[in-house]
This record gives sequence, C-alpha cells and structure tokens, in this order.
Amino acid sequence: MNNNEALVICRCEEVTYGQVFATAKEHQCTSRELKLRTRAGMGFCGGRTCRVMVDRIIESIVPNTGEGEIPLKYQPPIRPITFGTAGEKND
Amino acid sequence: MIDVIVIGAGPAGLAGAITCAEYGLQVTVIDEFVRPGGRLIGQLHQEPSGEWWNGIKESSRMHNEAQKRSVDIRCGVSVYNLEKDKDCWNVHTNIGTLIAPYVLVATGAAEFPIPVPGWTLPGVMSIGAAQVMTNVHRVEVGKKGIIIGANILAFAILNELQIAGINVEHIVLPEKSPLSQSAGEPEEVLKSLLNASHLAPSPILRFGSRFMKNKGFRKLGMKFYPKRGVKVNGTPLQLRKAALEILGKDQVEGVLTAEIDASGNVIKGTEKIYEADFVCIAGGLYPLAELTAVAGCPFQYVPELGGHVPLHSEKMETPLEGLFVAGNITGIESGKIAMAQGTTAGISIAKHAGKGSTDINKKLDQALKNVHTVRQNAAIQFNPEIANGRRRIYELWNDLYGKRQDSLQEIG
Repeated sequence: MNNNEALVICRCEEVTYGQVFATAKEHQCTSRELKLRTRAGMGFCGGRTCRVMVDRIIESIVPNTGEGEIPLKYQPPIRPITFGTAGEKND
Repeated sequence: MIDVIVIGAGPAGLAGAITCAEYGLQVTVIDEFVRPGGRLIGQLHQEPSGEWWNGIKESSRMHNEAQKRSVDIRCGVSVYNLEKDKDCWNVHTNIGTLIAPYVLVATGAAEFPIPVPGWTLPGVMSIGAAQVMTNVHRVEVGKKGIIIGANILAFAILNELQIAGINVEHIVLPEKSPLSQSAGEPEEVLKSLLNASHLAPSPILRFGSRFMKNKGFRKLGMKFYPKRGVKVNGTPLQLRKAALEILGKDQVEGVLTAEIDASGNVIKGTEKIYEADFVCIAGGLYPLAELTAVAGCPFQYVPELGGHVPLHSEKMETPLEGLFVAGNITGIESGKIAMAQGTTAGISIAKHAGKGSTDINKKLDQALKNVHTVRQNAAIQFNPEIANGRRRIYELWNDLYGKRQDSLQEIG
C-alpha cells in the first residue's frame, strides 16, 4: 500500500488509512489508544466494520501484540440505540 | 415467564429452540432480520451427492417446526446488551428487556472487511450482501461484476450469482497489505483452497489438492499459474492479479488491476483496467461474538475457527452459568453443523434445567456424535484444520473447567 493514504478505514468518522497508520507508527500503542487518538471505531456503528482493521494495523506495527484477548473491548450498547431505549422507555 | 431466550433465528438458534421446546421449556427466539432463517435463507447449492441444499426450504421447515411447538419468534429485534442479574439473564433489546434463566447466543458470523481504494463507491458490497440481495431480496446487483478475494465463501456465492443469471467476469485478489494479510498472497490463497477442489472444478485445483500440500509444488504451481486464470464455473480465478483500486465517478465503473508475483508483490507496468458495474469484496467470515463479550465470557484466539471465540465446552456451555452458544459464534462452519450444534445446546439447556428423563445424558452423547458425523460429511469446509481447532478449545475447556463440571454432575 503506497498510494492509499486517503483510503477510508472508518466510514462513520471518516478516518483514513494514512491517519491510522501514521498514528500507530508514532505512538506504538494499543488498539484502544489508536481508537481514542484517531476516532476510528468510535462512530455510529460502534466499529463493526473497522475494528478488525484497527487491530490488524496495530498487529502489523507493534511487535508482540497478543492475539489471545480481544484487543479492542466490546462495550454496550453494541447496537445504535436512542437514549429513550437506554432508559427503558419503550412506548 | 420465559425459560430460554435464543438470540439469533438462524440454523443453530432455531434448532436449539426446537429442542428446548421438545423438552417442555418456554422459548422465545429473537432476531434482527425481518424473517427467521439467518444466513440459511441465502444458501443454495448442489451437494457432491447431486442433491440440492435449498436454505429457504430448510428455514421454513424449521420455522414451521418451531411454531408447532409454540416457540415465540420475534423478528426485527436487536439486542444491545446482555447481563446477569442474580439468577437470571437480562437481554436488553429495542423492544424492552427480556428475562430468562437460560440464554442461547447463536449470532453467527460477520464478514471480514478488506479495504480497497474506492470501496466507498456505490456498487461495492461484501460478497455476503450480494448473496442476500440475490437470494433473499431477489434484486439484481449488477450486470458485470468482479469479486475481490478468493475463498470458499466467495466460490459458493459466485455459484449462486451464476445460477441467478448474474455475470461475474473475474475473481482477483486484494493487493497485499497489512490489512489484507494472507488474502493478498497467491501461495497462501492456493493453500487455503486445497480442500475446495470439488467446489472449484478445475484441473489445477484438482491437481492442487493432491500435490500442492507440498510447499515446493505449491511454489511451482504459482509460478506457472496461467495469467488469464483458471475457470471456476466459467469465471476466471486470477490468483496472479491484484485489485489496486476500484474506479468510478458516482458509482463503480471498473477495477484497476496489476499482475503480482507468487508472494503478492505488484509487478510494475502490468496495470490493466477491467470494466465492471459492481464489485464484491470477499474477506471471509469471523465469529460474531460481541454479545458474549459484553456478558463477560472469556475468549480464546483460534485461527482455525475464524478468530476469537467465546470459551465453550463441546456441550455448548460457556463458563457463565445459564449462558450457552451454538453455530458460527463457536467457529466458522456450514449451516448443517450449526443445526447439529443447536440441537446439542438445546439438550444441554434442558439438562441444566432439570428436564428430560434419565436418558438425557445418552441423548446428549448422541447429539455430540452427530456433530462429528455431520462435520465429516460436510460439503463445504471453511477451514481444513477445523477439527484441530475444535479439539484445542475443548481441551482448554477441560483443563480450566473440567473439574467443576464433574463436581456439578455428582451433585446433579
């Protein structure tokens, strides 16, 4: 991948491969830190599409990234919901 | 009062629900989609025996069976959280919170995305989306297609698109990168396809399955792999071509490709544009286990099973009391195996709930054996090493929880 700087990785937050890659390289961080720094995976869909890629970019850049645990934690709500639903108002 | 909540109305969930109901349990099944059947309703293929596997028929058969046994099936319901409260599980959904002592999570699998420049253009979709549009919604996805990514799922769906009269002109690989990983390396792709020779009836793959287990032969095979590809049901499979970019102004108009060497490196000066009005990206499947993750289930990374899977026993229990799993959430396999696993989970739940007579252990053993039998006869195998992956997770379970299991049985 040479000319893929502008390739969109996270569609919800419009984060590009270039941004994610450069941030991972600079900070040699965890998937979670990469998410917080770039906002990739923090959008409406909750990272359903880009989570795997955020993990893979970290794996390819940071040596000895463990595969045992799920790198990026899942947190509720795992689907987009309204505040009303979260407050159990279902009428 | 609900005894069992089944999340996912696919083959595993419906089989589990039917079995639980047979044991006299009150079952509610919820599913995000507008109709039950899960990915079953997209499936249509001919078995090596010549018989047709019609997923829509199978799903209506199971749906009827479930209805006969008064299983409450609610479609269009999304679960956004799953948590334990004292003795019961709270299943939080967009129609409110459902409560039951037992939950079977049968959420199936999701597709691996492989980003390709231009993949946000209209007309680009995952291969699974093409399947759903074709076989479920009966919408023609386009006139002239290209599949990026060569794997079992892509071949199975290619065949379905062809049956529907949809023209797919090329299968090429994604460009090698940290994101596409081995999906962009011809040699690795060839290795993964060895067990699919019956699905891709071409001399080189048939030759492959016999001789290409040897790395040297594989290298040689890739070196002499024809540039124009070998035909898979009429569509050239071009393992030595990579998609560099999906082109188009307002929608897909074509794909910029280039020749690649056996390791996936682009050979400069070989760029060529293929015209197309739709592109399917086929990255393969991984277990969709997010609900078991928020519930607090421990995980294990088992590549043969498709990635991270919730820790579970062969009887489909998780370490969390009352929480069971079945189907592709436990590892990527075909629908028939998901059904057999669902039945196993159903019997397991009935046993935990104190249902059934003294022969329930025998029934459970039979169900476990049936899973093996179905696996051995499976027409579609997603990973040739699946049995090893299964063994590893069950061994891990026995090491960690085997003792607890025995003591539970003694008390019971």
